[in-house]
Amino acid sequence: MNPVEKIAALEAAQRAGIDLDLLDSNLALSYEERALRHESALELVLALREAGAAYEKSTSAAPEAR
Amino acid sequence: MQPMKSLHLLLQRLADARFEFVVVGGYASVLHGSAYVTDDLDICAVLTPQNVEILRTALADLKPCHRMTHQKLSFLEHPPVGHAVNNLYLETEGGVLDILSNVLGVGDYQRLRQSAIEVPLFGRKCLVISLADLIAAKEAMGREKDLLTAKELRAIAAKRGKSTP
Repeated sequence: MNPVEKIAALEAAQRAGIDLDLLDSNLALSYEERALRHESALELVLALREAGAAYEKSTSAAPEAR
Repeated sequence: MQPMKSLHLLLQRLADARFEFVVVGGYASVLHGSAYVTDDLDICAVLTPQNVEILRTALADLKPCHRMTHQKLSFLEHPPVGHAVNNLYLETEGGVLDILSNVLGVGDYQRLRQSAIEVPLFGRKCLVISLADLIAAKEAMGREKDLLTAKELRAIAAKRGKSTP
């Protein structure tokens, strides 16, 4: 990747809303640390999904107030 | 309560079973530095009857089933012993595991292996698709989410001074 391509790639990512500082932070980690950080994020996503599903279930089961 | 999902547990199982594979997809993106979260593990491998049996043994206690089948057929019983398959889409107690014999835009296990990187993970060594091949695969998939990931991976390549397709 030449310098022009590098700048274009970084600008395209920025335009797409990608957090380049977060990438720097990830790149400073070892492979194992990246896997562990991802595992924590995944746990949170799954917990939120479960909570969302439980909420949906509770609201659809309750009779609608009029 | 759902059992704990752990993609790195799946990776450890496969590595300990001496199953030969290359990590591809979202988890490979994470290992290359992506900030996206994925809830499945995609790998590329050669699914000979022997390899299917190795997989069955490695995953046996994680209740693997074919997630694309209506009845969630058990992977421990299907396909029958001695049958080779092209792809496997499994759901296990450790998480979703997809095993592909080919990666769109790149090729099969042998092709991926040529440029894969060896990554130390939890006391094991795993082969991971190269950054350039992963970008090619994501761009070949062409879905919006894959194209966004490809942009992120190109930014990672730019930051690391890696060559890209």
